[in-house]
Amino acid sequence: MAKVFINKNIKNINKEKIQENLSGIETSPLTVSSLTWFQALSPQLQELVVEGLQPFVGEIEEIRLRVNRPIVFRVGTQEMTVTAQKKFTLQLEQGYIVTREEMERTVQIFSQNSLYAWEDEFKNGYLTIPGGHRIGFVGRGVLDHGEIKTLKELSGINYRIGRQIIGCADEVLPYLVKREQVYHTLIISPPQCGKTTLLRDIIRQISDGRPDLHFPGMNVGLVDERSEIAGMYQGEPQFQIGLRTDVLDACPKAQGMMMLIRSMSPGLIATDEIGKKEDIDALYNALQAGVKVITTVHGSGFEEIKERLNLQSLINWRFFERIIVLSRREGVGTIEKILDGKTLERLR
Amino acid sequence: MLKILGAFCILGGCGYIGARISRIYKKRTELFRFLQNGLALLETEINYASTPLPLALERVGKKINKDCRPLFVKAAAVLQEKKGVTATEAWEAGVTALCHEVPLTEEEKELLFIFGHGLGGSDKEEQIKNIVLTQKQLNLLEKVAEEEQVRNQKMWQYLSFSIGAVIVLILI
Repeated sequence: MAKVFINKNIKNINKEKIQENLSGIETSPLTVSSLTWFQALSPQLQELVVEGLQPFVGEIEEIRLRVNRPIVFRVGTQEMTVTAQKKFTLQLEQGYIVTREEMERTVQIFSQNSLYAWEDEFKNGYLTIPGGHRIGFVGRGVLDHGEIKTLKELSGINYRIGRQIIGCADEVLPYLVKREQVYHTLIISPPQCGKTTLLRDIIRQISDGRPDLHFPGMNVGLVDERSEIAGMYQGEPQFQIGLRTDVLDACPKAQGMMMLIRSMSPGLIATDEIGKKEDIDALYNALQAGVKVITTVHGSGFEEIKERLNLQSLINWRFFERIIVLSRREGVGTIEKILDGKTLERLR
Repeated sequence: MLKILGAFCILGGCGYIGARISRIYKKRTELFRFLQNGLALLETEINYASTPLPLALERVGKKINKDCRPLFVKAAAVLQEKKGVTATEAWEAGVTALCHEVPLTEEEKELLFIFGHGLGGSDKEEQIKNIVLTQKQLNLLEKVAEEEQVRNQKMWQYLSFSIGAVIVLILI
């Protein structure tokens, strides 16, 4: 029943496979340096990746730096590291120790020596780099009247490498469109199950249209509060989001939805991770304006969502016409089920 | 006849050298003025558009008068191509490139270097403070350079012409 949209299932990496990988394929350094996230690493760390992790470069999902602790890479669910001698190992405690200087150099590089350009980002604790990847960080807060003004003395940095999977919504789309109309859709998913990736491809396909489903495509307004869906960098989307998509980047969802309705008159509004009360109000407003909505919410299943105070009224009111539940059961992006939001009948 | 021609050549040559020297004074005055303009443009990029430094410096370099263009263009190029270079180092490379175009005293270089130390590493408010302070100091330098220009430009013109005349007299 469940369908995996990421073919490469790298959930169960065993040591033999790693050995095989290490001795096997040799990727040329050229392809490595063309990866956009690679450019945001310090020269020292770039060397570590090239020498020690060559076979996995294309599959790294996370790189974590913590002051005076080993650097950790994550591929699928497998954590790994590289020693100071640039040798690959699964023994995390043997990994290359990240120094404070290394940390500061890294900040300089990913901020392009321009801390002033990322004031809001430093307040929020993350920023988007070219390629749509996200860098999150923690440090010591600098307060101003009890509110976080910025972070200093960064002690932990997390590179989250974004990947778009064109076509991962192929299977889902037939359930979401009907002739020229789109259903109000909610995607329920635990963290790191590919909900943003799925949403991105749904947006792209709705925006471009799907001739095989006789769906001509419609104007999509995307409120991308955390710059994660379109991966906007300096006003340019870093992912394919479709030719009829307008992006309102880094705007609060509730305000953004209202702005989009007035300014761009989209047929569909897309946003992710709703949950606050004002988000729900904005959804009602969108409905009043005759605009369809597609959104996501954190959660492991439909039952859990029903318990949530803010979402309860939405569910009881049967706002959403289609509900997609994701899991990681058979790898990232397993489509657990698709429900009809009105009758709660299982469609798939 | 040949003597007169030679005399004109000597006078013209000396006059030209004098003009070249006095032009340097003019260039210095202009440089300090245009640098202030450049910093004002940089302030707009930083404060209004939040443009990251490599791009901001490149944009200023395109808009600015060509005499101080090397400073911004070089600094932007260094930042863009080499990873792990700080803004301070890139700015210093820019100042060095500028020195090849227009002679600067140690004191003037120092002022530009100090500006580089604060570049990029803080929030907008601090960046603007740094820019405004440096603009004020550049303004003072501009006034000093202007006085020098008024004083020396004329002097070099007369002096070179006089030296030419003396040489002609001796040779005749």
